[in-house]
Order: sequence, then C-alpha cells, then structure tokens
Amino acid sequence: MLLLPVCVSILMGLLAGFLPSVGMEPLPESRFGSDHTQSLESPNSNYSQLTLKLEFASKVVEHEYIVAFTGYFSAKARSLYISSALRNTNDGALEWHIVPRENPASDFPSDFELVHIRQASTSSLLTLEDHPYIKRVTPQRKVFRSLKYIPSPETPAPCNSTHRMQKWQSSRPFRRTSLSLCSTFWHATGRHSSRRLLRAIPRHVAQILQADVLWQMGHTGSGVKVAVFDTGLSEKHPHFKNVKERTNWTNEKTLDDGLGHGTFVAGVIASMRECQGFAPDSELHIFRVFTNNQVSYTSWFLDAFNYAILKKIDVLNLSIGGPDFMDHPFVDKVWELTANKVIMVSAIGNDGPLYGTLNNPADQMDVIGVGGIDFEDNIARFSSRGMTTWELPGGYGRVKPDIVTYGSGVRGSGMKEGCRSLSGTSVASPVVAGAVTLLASTVLNRELVNPASMKQALIASARRLPGVNMFEQGHGKLDLIRAYQILNSYRPQASLSPSYIDLTECPYMWPYCSQPIYYGGMPTIVNVTILNGMAVTGRIVDKPIWQPYLPQNGDHIDVAMSYSPVLWPWAGYLAVSISVAKKAASWEGIAQGHVMVTVASPAENDSEVEGELTSTVKLPIKVKIVPTPPRSKRVLWDQYHNLRYPPGYFPRDNLRMKNDPLDWNGDHIHTNFRDMYQHLRSMGYFVEVLGAPITCFDASQYGTLLMVDSEEEYFPEEITKLRRDIDNGLSLIIFSDWYNTSVMRKVKFYDENTRQWWMPDTGGANVPALNDLISVWGMAFSDGLYEGDFTLADHDMYYASGCSIARFPEDGIVIAKNLKDQGLEVLKQETAVVERVPILGLYQTPSDGGGRIALYGDSNCIDDSHRQKDCFWLLDSLLQYTSYSMTPPSLSHSHSRVASPTASERPLPQRLEGNHLYRYSKVLEAHLGDPKPRPLPACPHLSWAKPQPVNETAPSNLWKHQKLLSVDLDKVALPNVRSYRPQVRPLSPGESGAWDIPGGIMPGRYNQEVGQTIPVFAFLGAMVVLSFFVVQLTKAKSKPKRRKPRIKRPTYLQQQQTTNGKNPTV
Amino acid sequence: MMVLRRLLRKRWVLGVVFGLSLIYFLTSTLKQEERTIRDRTLLEVRDSDHRIPWKVRFNLGNSSRQMSQCRNSIQGKMLLTDELGYVCERKDLLVNGCCNVNAPSTRQYVCKSCLANGCCSVYEYCVSCCLQPDKQPLLERFLNRAAEGLQNLFVAVEDIFELCLAKCRTSSQSVQHENTYRNPQAKYCYGESPPELLVL
Repeated sequence: MLLLPVCVSILMGLLAGFLPSVGMEPLPESRFGSDHTQSLESPNSNYSQLTLKLEFASKVVEHEYIVAFTGYFSAKARSLYISSALRNTNDGALEWHIVPRENPASDFPSDFELVHIRQASTSSLLTLEDHPYIKRVTPQRKVFRSLKYIPSPETPAPCNSTHRMQKWQSSRPFRRTSLSLCSTFWHATGRHSSRRLLRAIPRHVAQILQADVLWQMGHTGSGVKVAVFDTGLSEKHPHFKNVKERTNWTNEKTLDDGLGHGTFVAGVIASMRECQGFAPDSELHIFRVFTNNQVSYTSWFLDAFNYAILKKIDVLNLSIGGPDFMDHPFVDKVWELTANKVIMVSAIGNDGPLYGTLNNPADQMDVIGVGGIDFEDNIARFSSRGMTTWELPGGYGRVKPDIVTYGSGVRGSGMKEGCRSLSGTSVASPVVAGAVTLLASTVLNRELVNPASMKQALIASARRLPGVNMFEQGHGKLDLIRAYQILNSYRPQASLSPSYIDLTECPYMWPYCSQPIYYGGMPTIVNVTILNGMAVTGRIVDKPIWQPYLPQNGDHIDVAMSYSPVLWPWAGYLAVSISVAKKAASWEGIAQGHVMVTVASPAENDSEVEGELTSTVKLPIKVKIVPTPPRSKRVLWDQYHNLRYPPGYFPRDNLRMKNDPLDWNGDHIHTNFRDMYQHLRSMGYFVEVLGAPITCFDASQYGTLLMVDSEEEYFPEEITKLRRDIDNGLSLIIFSDWYNTSVMRKVKFYDENTRQWWMPDTGGANVPALNDLISVWGMAFSDGLYEGDFTLADHDMYYASGCSIARFPEDGIVIAKNLKDQGLEVLKQETAVVERVPILGLYQTPSDGGGRIALYGDSNCIDDSHRQKDCFWLLDSLLQYTSYSMTPPSLSHSHSRVASPTASERPLPQRLEGNHLYRYSKVLEAHLGDPKPRPLPACPHLSWAKPQPVNETAPSNLWKHQKLLSVDLDKVALPNVRSYRPQVRPLSPGESGAWDIPGGIMPGRYNQEVGQTIPVFAFLGAMVVLSFFVVQLTKAKSKPKRRKPRIKRPTYLQQQQTTNGKNPTV
Repeated sequence: MMVLRRLLRKRWVLGVVFGLSLIYFLTSTLKQEERTIRDRTLLEVRDSDHRIPWKVRFNLGNSSRQMSQCRNSIQGKMLLTDELGYVCERKDLLVNGCCNVNAPSTRQYVCKSCLANGCCSVYEYCVSCCLQPDKQPLLERFLNRAAEGLQNLFVAVEDIFELCLAKCRTSSQSVQHENTYRNPQAKYCYGESPPELLVL
C-alpha cells in the first residue's frame, strides 16, 4: 500500500531537478512559431481544458506502524534496531514482525520499516521511539485516491508544434507533419500532476517493455536494416554505433538533424547508451526527408522510398503523417514498399482527442499504425483516433490505430548528446519500430517475417486496456515478450482485425455497442481487415460463408459480405453488413453465428508446399436485436452530402480557427459529431447513417432527416423525393454554415506542399445547393457571415461563422439575434454589429400530415472540432419539434422572435465561379460551361449471404477465444526470463560515461560486438604493459637499492603529491 | 593514505596506468576512424572529376542461358518479372524465383501497355521492356546523365536488373503538384523523359 516514500522522495528530488528543464526545452522547430514564446511562458495554459481533481481518503490500518529511522540503513540493520528496541519493553510477550515490502527498492537502504505489532501498548511504542536510531513511530494509513478529469468548456488549440506554426496561407502542416508535441512533459502530465509524476517515472521505455529479456538471450537487432525517415542525424552522435548510411532527400544541403526529431526517433530505436533504444545492433539507415523548416514534399518521399526498396530495408519508421490519404502517388508508393517486404511503422497522429483524425500512412492496412499512451496506460490525449474515413460515405471505417504504446514523456536521444523527454505519437512509433526490429532479429527463419506476420504477432499479443474502445486503442498495448513468443512459433496464416464482431461488448466495441440493431434499420457495417501472412498477394477462395448458430438465434440476422478481390499488399478488407431478418421485427434478444473465410496465396519460394497455401479464419458474430423503434425515435444522418478534405479544399466551418483551415474529420456521427451522437443516444433516439442519395431510403421509417454542414450538390431526383417525403410526414433539420464568395476568395492560399493556389470549392457548407433543396418551401439561407455570443432560452450560445436565414415562410417561427458581421471583418478588418440577424427558423408544412422543417445557420455548436459552446439542448428542442410536433415555448414565445424575412431583402448566394467542386463531387460532372449533374446512381444493393445454419453455440466471451492459430504461448519457453525488475534509479542527463550502460542490463553479444576491434588493441596494449613489467622486474632484481633513487628525486615526489592534491579522495 | 601514496609511487603501478591510458587512447582514436558512415547527399554537388564507379554491366545478350536462381520483381499483385526479362503470373513462378518459361502465359521482353515515350501502365511490363537488349543504348545514355545529375538512387544500382527495377518505379519525376500523377495511366517509365502530362 505504501508508495516507497524514500525512493520516491529521492526520485522526486531528482525529477524536480531536471524534469522541468526537459519539459521546457523548446523544440527547435518552435523558433518558427510566433506564439510559441507565449506557450513557453505559461506551459500550462495550453492545457487548461483538462482539470485534474485528486481526491484522497485515508484510514488507519490496524496493528501496522511505520517506524522511521534517523538515517538510511540496510534491511538487516533495521530489523536489528527494532528487535533491540522492543526487547526493552516491559511487555515480554509482544508479538511483532516486520511486514515485508516486495519491491525493487527493498535491496537498497531505507529510512523506514513497516512493523506489525499485535496489541501494541502506548508504552511499547514509546520504547520504540526511545531507540537512538528511531526517529518516530506512526500508524500505517491506507490511502484511497481517485483521479477525475474535468473537461472545461473552452478548448484552446492543443500544444502541437506543427499546428502552432500554421499560418493561414499554407496548408503544409495539415499535410505531412512530424508528429511530436512541443512542451513535452507539461503536456503529458497536466497541471495538477505532481502526484502522478511519482508514478510516471520516465524510465527507459525499452526496459519497461522488457527488451532486456530479449537482450539477455542475445538478440539485439543485429542483421536487421532499419530506415528512419525523419529530420536526419548528426554524424558523430555518441549514442549510435551502427549507422550504415545517411542520405539527404531534401533541398537543404545537410545530413544533420537541426530539429532533434530524427535523432530522438533514431535513439528510441537504436541508441546504445544513456537512454537505450531497443535494437542497438541494428543497421541504421538515416533518410533525411524533412527540413529544419518542417517542409517535405511527396516527391522527396517517392525517391527516398525507392532507395529504401533498393537497399532492401527491413523496418521503416515514419514518425510523420498527414491527413491526405488521397495523395495517390504517396499511398501507392507505401503499398509498393510493403509489397517489397519493408515493414512500415507509422505514427497515427497528434490530433486527438477529436475523432476522425487518423493520419496517413498510418491508416493504411499494410502499415502498422501506432497510437500513444502514457505510463499509466491511459490513451494519450493527443493520440489521433476514430475510424478511417476513406470508406465514407457508403461504407464504414476500419479500426485504427493497430496498437498503442508509450508516447508520453518517453526519453530518447538529444540532438547532440544526452537524453531528453518527448511526447507525441512520433515517439510511440519508433518504440514499436524498435520493438519490431528487435523481434525480427530473434527469428531464425527470416523468410517468415513480413509486414503481415509482424503485424499479426503484434496485435495478437497486445494487451487490451480496460475501458477504452477499439477506435482509440486498436488491439491494445504492445507486449514485446508475448509478441516474441508468438512470432517464434508462427506459421504463415491469415487473420482478421478485429478478430470477432461482438456488437454487445461495451466499451471496446463502441460505437457498435451503443445502439442495438433492429429490423428495417440501415445495415450495420463492420469493416474487418484481413491480414495475410502467407504471401504478398492472396485471394478469398469461393465466398465467405455465413453460418448462423441455430441455438443462439443466428437465423434472426442477415449478413452480406463484400471484400477485396485481391488481398494486396499483405492485406485486404472484408466488410460485413448485418441486418435484422423480417421475422425478428418485434423480437428482442441476442443472435450469434460466424463467418468463415478461406484465404489462398501462391506458395512462397522456399516453402515445400507446391501450388497454393490456404488458411481458414472464423469470424464470430454476436449482435443485440431490439424491436423496431417508432418512427419518431428514429433519426437519419445524411452522410452522402458531406464532403471533406482530402482531396479538395473544403474550408473549416469556424473561420476563427485559422490554424486549421481544412474540414477533414469526415463529418460522421462516429468521428467529429461523436458527442452529438452520444447525446442523441442518451436522449433515446436511434441514429442511422444514410450513405447513399436521398432517393435510397424509406422515409416512412424515419422521424427526422438530419443534414449538417453539407457540402455536396443534390440530384434533381433527390430534391423531388425529399419534397414528397416531407409532404408525407418526414421532418428535416438543417444545420447550415457560411457561404460567401468574397470570403472564399479571401481565404484562398498558396499551398507550399502542392505548389499551387488553393481556392475553396465551397464555403463552410454548400448554401446555394441547400437553397435549391429548400426553395420550394420559400426558404433560403443568405450569404451573410456572422459571429458572436448570445443567449437563447437561457442558454449561452456562440455563433461561429454561420450564415443567416434570408427567406422563410410567414407562418414560421423565426428567431433573430444581434451578431457581428464577420464577413466585413475578414474582408476589411472592420467590426460592425448587425441587429436582428435571423438564425433559427421552425416551420410546419401545410399539407395534411406533413413534416416540419427546422433551419439553423451554424453547425459549429454540434461539431466536436473547435466547438466552443455546445447547443445539444437546441438540437433536443428541434427534434422535439420535428419528431413530436411539440413547439418549444422557449422558442415560440421568445422575445427574440421576429417576422419572417422575405424575398425583398438581400440577394441569395450564388456558386463561386470557377469552383472545382465537380472534381470531388459524386453528383456533378465536368461539362462544357457549367458542371451538370450526373445520372442518378443506382441505390446500393446488398446481396445477403445464403445462410448455412449450424447447430453450434458460441462461448459467452468471444474475445478470449480469438488468437492466432497454432500458437500456444505456453509452449514457447523463454530461457533466462528474469522477473520484471523495473529500474528505480532515474538517470540524470549528465550521467553518461563512455561505457556506462545503465543498470548493466546490456548482455553478452552486445558488448562483444561493440568491441570487435577492441581485443586486438587490448592485446597489443597488454603486451606493451607486460614487457614494461618484465623490464621493471628484471631491473629491480638486478638493482635491489630501491629507496635511494626515490629520495634523490624530489621532483618525482612532488609530482605524486600534486596528483594526490587533485584527487583528495584517493 | 600512506599506503596508497606509496603504491602510486611504484613504477609498475604507473606503468599500468600508462598502459591503460594508452589502450584507451588507441581504441578511441581508431574507433573513430573506423566509423565510416556512408553519407550521400542527393543534391549536394560533388567534385566534377569524381567518377562514379558504374557496376552496371550490359551483358544480357544470350537470353536462353539457364539460371539456377533468379531475382524477380517481388511486389506484383498478379504479375512478376524475373531478371531474364520474363513476365509471368505469380502461380507460374518456380521455386528458384524464375518464371516458368514453359507456362503458356510467360513471355520475355514484354512491352505491352508501354507508350512510345517509354512509359507503361503496368510496372512488370515496364521492367521487362527495359531489360530488352535493344534498350541498352538508351539506358547507358540515361546512366551517364544520371551520373552528371548525381542521382543518388541510380548511383547505387548494381546491375541492369536493379537499374530497370529502380527506373520503372514512380518517382519525383512522376508527379505534378506533388499529390497527383502527371499521367495516372502510364506512370512507370524506363525511358528518359517523365510521363507526359495528362491535362484534365
């Protein structure tokens, strides 16, 4: 229970001595950030959105006493003192013993002891205190501690070095950026963290992950080629012994690291001293692809990647990422790289805790995407998360990151020498890359190591973190030793990620577990990744088979599958769509079954098997079915009309957020509208996603269609269908956003990365298209651009770059507020307040049983990204109105209510001339003159798999039964595995000594190889010394008078004295 | 203290100290010399008279010779090219890495999908076409130019197969505006010129 007060206090002192300096150490890149000084002055200000509340409770533990000594004594001495002290008590039959403390510090001298004394009288305690070496005796207390995170409403920009640099004029840092954070330690631990610091000792990450076990077995990464794609490395860095080659691919004429990022990353992988890396004997290939100004181009990467292929690199770390997964040359090249057996490890991004922020290339199936955790196994706040967004709007994202590992306050090599702490997923990535390198060197048959088998071993061995969903932690935390065991008994096979589908398992399977499925709902899609360790290409034999479990109501669900025609490179997808069968329309319960997939690959060169290798994998499925909810409870989210970067420039919805000009999070209810989704679920609504045109859903099933921040155009057929649906009782809520052509021209910028001008293709939303959709009801949004705080129905609201309502039917309810004209501010830098801007409108369509329409001019208050004040209450009120026809009195009787604006006022916004929306649109196509709508595509059709029922039952917990085939962890013995002993003594940066290997854990082969040349010199030297000896001895024997010369040589004596003077302790 | 002082006065002790320092000195200096990192700088100008040792040998000529072990293009989704210029399907690859010459679909020196400018839409065909003996003058010319331009990548190739593998890959020459291909259809080029810009 006790937290080693002694050692901890020593540590505290040491940490307090050097940590702040490490934490405050400005990253060199921050030179370029104008506002960095501010963040340096108040490192905590960046973190004000997280308040940590510590609560304590303590109670006395009976019969246990802490005996504090006046100094530090060994365990034996302490025991002696106590027994001698207690011997003096009158109470002869006093029962006592020392409570053993099993911890790494117990070998070291301590100044206290925990004693259990039965029926201790006050007198015996007093006698104890009489002992000369005992300072005091206090009762043992049990401390209960609970941590509470309190997110405060304002969300300032996270302290991300790359974001800090951003100027509106460049999209650069939103593309590929190096993924480390600026003020490191402060970021990791937060403000009130002095107590956490004790437990989050910045130990060597390689030792925490038990790399020393593998080192002791003689594996140190030798023979594995690791490429570090980063900011370079200086030539004579003392931490590295096997730098094979350094190449520069940038336009700066240097190979050295000017930022410290590349050195740190290389250090985590392969440093051999001070802050040790994982694989000190690996062959390091340094690729400098990022300049000191944080610039990099796709073309540099292409050439550098080609060189890596030519050099037959085994493991490649890329602590760099960006949102542009539509950069085809880059994505293709990464595929090519892994197809050439390069194991690619990449950082998932530092854009958390927002969802939908995964970075490329870490989000690719063939790449190992790494997220960050702190030393207490919490997902690091900065770690990017959420599903991949490639598959939107029709499909559903894949699970990423693949695994997580330490990425907060990790120690690695400093730019010139020594160590420093850094945080960021770019720290977590080399931890995995280093581990992968070390693992690869343990495998005897290197042919078995490939990007897929390595990833399979890592994810099968990962330790799941409790209470965290799979879109944050992937398969869990890296476990090096278990990965070693799995990899060393690995047989080529296919596996799935995730390996089972349990839609009832919370929170791991969030968001699936947050909403049960029912008949008539949009099919639930789970996008499973197939990893194929057999060969770079593979295919699915025949078709996957759906086998419902009859005893477990498997026949109540229908399953459809779509999959990659060819699994290349090393991976492919298997999208499983699950729907409820009609016979279960009013049934409630759990249904189970499984899908069987057989993957075949051509046999590899050296295998004995002729022809094809096959591997069959089982994917268990478990779902919860409820009766179809009433229409009013069902909300349909329009995903089809949401566009985002990449590839086009779709500007942010909040123009104040200049450092993040792009709208790139997917605009999905499970990415940046996650909070809104959670809120609607908690209010009892069932939210489904429409990934197809409006013509493709049965409107009679839904109460409300929710369109938020739509950038896409509409097919004429969609407009007609929506009118008919609303006449028949469907309701519509639109959260629009700004669209002003002058402002759009103003926010164009020259993009350093693509070396061309970027002109937005829409505003925050596509208002002209929305106006086409709603014009039939006499409604329209304006091209105004407003901003400001106001109060509505006793709620504080913030209007962040929204438009106003230009036209509205006279019998509707319209709410107006006084707002600032942000358009004027952007264009002319003038401030003007506009009175009574109509922002909210409610309207009941006149037809019998017709639906209702609600319009609001700004989407920022329900969007997680850059949200300042949420307005979920407003969404509730609007849904009450649209779904249940209950007009909220706070709105209908508001004194802000105004007469409906009419057509006579300002003109409606027109589409920006020359916009390139057609390039990214699913609706428009290029045409002479204006782009024209394409023909309406057919609605997606799922072909349900023919069920092959089996009379089986599944175990209640699907997870534990899913591991790689033919791998029995118990069978793989670990020779020389010591029990895990974390190093308690922290190493100060100055502690470096040439051959001082901390803790002496670096084993045999390492030292041998370091000194391959040393024995020769040692032998020569020894010979010299030996001959000197021999000469001396012979001289001494022939001249026995040895004392005389010493007296005769005062100079010699003097010399000795001076030496002694310099070393008084000798 | 006195004992220590006396000990230090002894010659052999000093000798040991000297010897150890000598060993340390020798090892540390020699270790530094030994640390020969191969540094390459892509865009740095080297001495003009620096000759790059070309290891590429153009001795293809006889294509019918038998090889016990072949290198091949590894990465292909469906197709592979071996170092003799044969293109075959993955299933027709022999255990030694060579294409099965007797398989019906196996062809040597295939220039299918390749345009006149030396750009192809299939990587494996590009490599095969590049290995064709009549492309030798073109490649030699290119290599000489690459030597002048000091293109890192091509300095490191060991022979013509590696050259063709490297030459056919998409590179900085294949893109415009960094994130789009100049020509998404024919992007693998063995020729001297970059892909023709496809105007959308």
